[in-house]
Amino acid sequence: MADQDHRHKIDLEQVAEHVEEQVAYGLEVQGPVRPTRTLWRDTVRRLRKNKLAVAGLIWVSIVLVMAVTADLWVPPLLGDPIALDTTQVSARRLQPPSWEHPFGTDNLGRDVAARVVYGARVSLRVGVLAVSISVVIGLLMGAIAAFYGGLSDTIIMRLADVFFAFPYILFAIAMIALLGPSETNVFIAIGILGWPSIARVFRSSILSVKENEYVDAARALGASDPRILSRHILPNAVAPIIVYGTMSIGGAILSEAALSFLGMGVQPPQPSWGNMLAEARSMMVVAPWIMLWPGLAILTTVLAFVLMGDGLRDALDVKMKE
Amino acid sequence: MALLEVNKLTKHFPVQQGILLSRLGGHVSAVDDVSFSVEKGTTMGLVGESGCGKSTTGRCILRLYRATSGEIRYDGRDVLALRGADLKWYRRNVQVIFQDPYASLNPRMTIREIVAEPLVIHGIGTREEQKKKVQELLEVVGLNPEHISRYPHEFSGGQRQRIGVARALALNPKLIICDEPVSALDVSIQAQVVNLLEELQKEFGLTYVFIAHDLSVVRHISDRVAVMYLGKIVEIGDWRGLYDRPHHPYTQSLLSAVPVPDPVKQRERQRIILEGDVPSPIDPPTGCRFHTRCPIAQFPICAEEVPELKEIAPGHSAACHFAEPQPIKTQHVHGGSGEVIGAPAEG
Amino acid sequence: MSTLLEVNGLQTYFDTIDGVLKAVDGVTFSLDRGATLGIVGESGSGKSVTALSIMRLIPMPPGRFAGGDIRYEDRSILEMSAAEVRSLRGNNIAMIFQDPMTSLNPVYRVGKQIGESLRLHKGMSRKSADVRAAELLDVVGIPNASQRAKDYPHQFSGGMRQRAMIAMAVACDPDILIADEPTTALDVTIQAQILDLMIELQQEKDTAIIMITHDLGIVADMVDNVMVMYAGRPVEEGTVDQVFYDPKHPYTWGLLDSLPRYDVDDKGRLIPIEGQPPSLIAVPSGCAFHPRCPYARDVCRAEEPKLSNLGDGHVAACHFAGSSGFVRGSTAGGAA
Repeated sequence: MADQDHRHKIDLEQVAEHVEEQVAYGLEVQGPVRPTRTLWRDTVRRLRKNKLAVAGLIWVSIVLVMAVTADLWVPPLLGDPIALDTTQVSARRLQPPSWEHPFGTDNLGRDVAARVVYGARVSLRVGVLAVSISVVIGLLMGAIAAFYGGLSDTIIMRLADVFFAFPYILFAIAMIALLGPSETNVFIAIGILGWPSIARVFRSSILSVKENEYVDAARALGASDPRILSRHILPNAVAPIIVYGTMSIGGAILSEAALSFLGMGVQPPQPSWGNMLAEARSMMVVAPWIMLWPGLAILTTVLAFVLMGDGLRDALDVKMKE
Repeated sequence: MALLEVNKLTKHFPVQQGILLSRLGGHVSAVDDVSFSVEKGTTMGLVGESGCGKSTTGRCILRLYRATSGEIRYDGRDVLALRGADLKWYRRNVQVIFQDPYASLNPRMTIREIVAEPLVIHGIGTREEQKKKVQELLEVVGLNPEHISRYPHEFSGGQRQRIGVARALALNPKLIICDEPVSALDVSIQAQVVNLLEELQKEFGLTYVFIAHDLSVVRHISDRVAVMYLGKIVEIGDWRGLYDRPHHPYTQSLLSAVPVPDPVKQRERQRIILEGDVPSPIDPPTGCRFHTRCPIAQFPICAEEVPELKEIAPGHSAACHFAEPQPIKTQHVHGGSGEVIGAPAEG
Repeated sequence: MSTLLEVNGLQTYFDTIDGVLKAVDGVTFSLDRGATLGIVGESGSGKSVTALSIMRLIPMPPGRFAGGDIRYEDRSILEMSAAEVRSLRGNNIAMIFQDPMTSLNPVYRVGKQIGESLRLHKGMSRKSADVRAAELLDVVGIPNASQRAKDYPHQFSGGMRQRAMIAMAVACDPDILIADEPTTALDVTIQAQILDLMIELQQEKDTAIIMITHDLGIVADMVDNVMVMYAGRPVEEGTVDQVFYDPKHPYTWGLLDSLPRYDVDDKGRLIPIEGQPPSLIAVPSGCAFHPRCPYARDVCRAEEPKLSNLGDGHVAACHFAGSSGFVRGSTAGGAA
């Protein structure tokens, strides 16, 4: 029956195209009757229609607000995430979730909820900073490769291939071994390792935008190269980077957790979701909740970023049709 | 003196082979030894099937492609040698309208930014003056000047093409290269844009190079027409002579292949149906490039000797060893020019 | 001749975020065995959706059939089960799409793709399907067919791919062949080859053809009956001679007048239809064409015209169609 499926797939693709044309046409011909909207406002409108993306956005906002305001409410409500009261450790350690400690307490009697919230600070910081580094390097490299082409293109893209060829986490561990484990070095390592993907996406995006007739039109008007670049190519080429960057934040958070889990990242007693998992590992059988909460935090936050990126991709897809 | 003169224009594109270490593997001869001239205030039509080099010719004239060899003269000046301020002067005088009304307008710019861009680039006027000029131009092309701050995606295909026309007019150019400007439009809208182009020509004394694959549209708008096949001009002449008495077998079959919107005529028409596909321009046929599909080819001459463009009537030339007139039309031909011209030209 | 396909008041709507898009709104026609019907209209006129509705290829949702019926040999296509529709497609009604570049699957050999429907519908063995596929390629004029059947689509030129698509469509000897702009993506000399091939096959097999096109030349060339569509509605139907030589609807007049023609000696000014085509989400009240119609009066804005019979099967949806004094060019002036 595989053959049959394949046949109908062809048909349905055709249909989808036809219908899209029809639908797009219906919206498009209204022309000036439509209220003026900028493309960005259009993007927001489409983003809001995507329920999963909105859910992702809400979750990321909640995590962000909790992390930023943590100093104000965590210590009085949940207790200090780092300092321990040595006299009380044995009495407080490994308590299951309760009203007083909603996520329970860990091996040293600290509140797990407090540590998860402070861990979010690390995750978001590392995620955003690492991706910023990747984006800066990647945009530069991708732009050089796409504009100058020839030898510089070959060199940059082959260099990117070399980066791809190394096992990612091993490369990161090697770099941190070199720089020494710390939060700063973690985001530097992740950031540096992330540029090749950004460079690739940006390069191909520029190359496809370059083919558009409005670029030729600008050239025929006598526009200078910097003008063509800044007015015509870049604004139309960055959309995939916004999407890819958003998704990459999720990836960077995951990498940070992995590195911290392996002891190469944020060092205890400073909490990070990764090192919390590492510490919880030995207690898994007696106190599974210690492992559950940081694990859930990683899962939901990474998922939220990916959903947001996905939604942005659909929303930013101008296609000029709609 | 002709406003635009194209002389033995040739454009080759290198073909790259290999993935890791790219090397040149021959070239595509997209335009080969093309010559024509366009008088001020007239329209030159370039017509042919895909891959015939008509758009490449246009892009060479616009200096979007660097010609491999040959000469382009605008107003007596050597276009290919222009640099700096001279090139800017040329760009001010020679403008372009593209085919795809979706791809030819930057989706992130407003109509005002798009139409004002030529003025900004050439530093003409203050911001307020530019805005006024944009509004004037929109009015000229039949759009509501109040829509100045809208984005291209809010307009229909025909309206977008008008925006493209407004942008091309902004610098008061003398020559406009129209590259398939109506091919993407529906017939009723196509007629609007064709009429607009004709009106603008009259009003501003514009000169057009009109590139299209639609023979009827080209005939309608052009004073002179060149038919291209695989990078070469096979026939060139004034519109009436070329359409009434095509001499080249390719022109003849092209004309006979276009169905006319008239059922009775269509039933009576003799059609020449060419065999096969257009050969690859990477390795074009020897001799006459059309000989592989030509219904009247004779061997060995057609496969060996490249036919020169020969004048067969005043201002009407064909590149065929056996050029012979064949009146395709079934309708009355205007008096005077109606006689069929003599025997086949000697090869 | 017997009626093979009857479409009656078909309405195909799409639910979009901006409202209901009435892609097809009240299409009615019938098709006899061996006849050719041309559906003409501009983009967004609903001609493609009509074809897809006949094939039941409208994705639902967002699409839905809001009314009307399609009957093939007196069975309602709209009421058929999924299995019945599958056996109808390819077997009884086949379709050729516009873009030969994307309608063939690039990872399968051309011969295999053609043989597939034979195996599916006719229960042929792999081997005999391969043999038949090569024969079919030969029939559609592919030189060296048994060799070329082993090629992949990218090894075919555009014209050859469209020939292969036709071979695939006619493989099971369908009664009806729906061609949706089959030559729009092709050059004129190749278009002539393809149209010729279609006519040849039709005469041989007595296939009925629905030719969907925006090109009035193609309609004049190969069609018996014409349906002109505008904004999802049929505006005029009749024989090709009636519609071309005695058109009754102002939209048909407009279409004919806006065409530049190389077969007419005079290079008069083209007469375009002013304005833009309407949105199918907000179709104008009354006659959908009234905002662009130079003859429109109050009744046109208020009341939707019904298809009125003008004799000999010629119908038009215009309040004034057929009334004396309502002639082409009477207000537009200068019509050819």
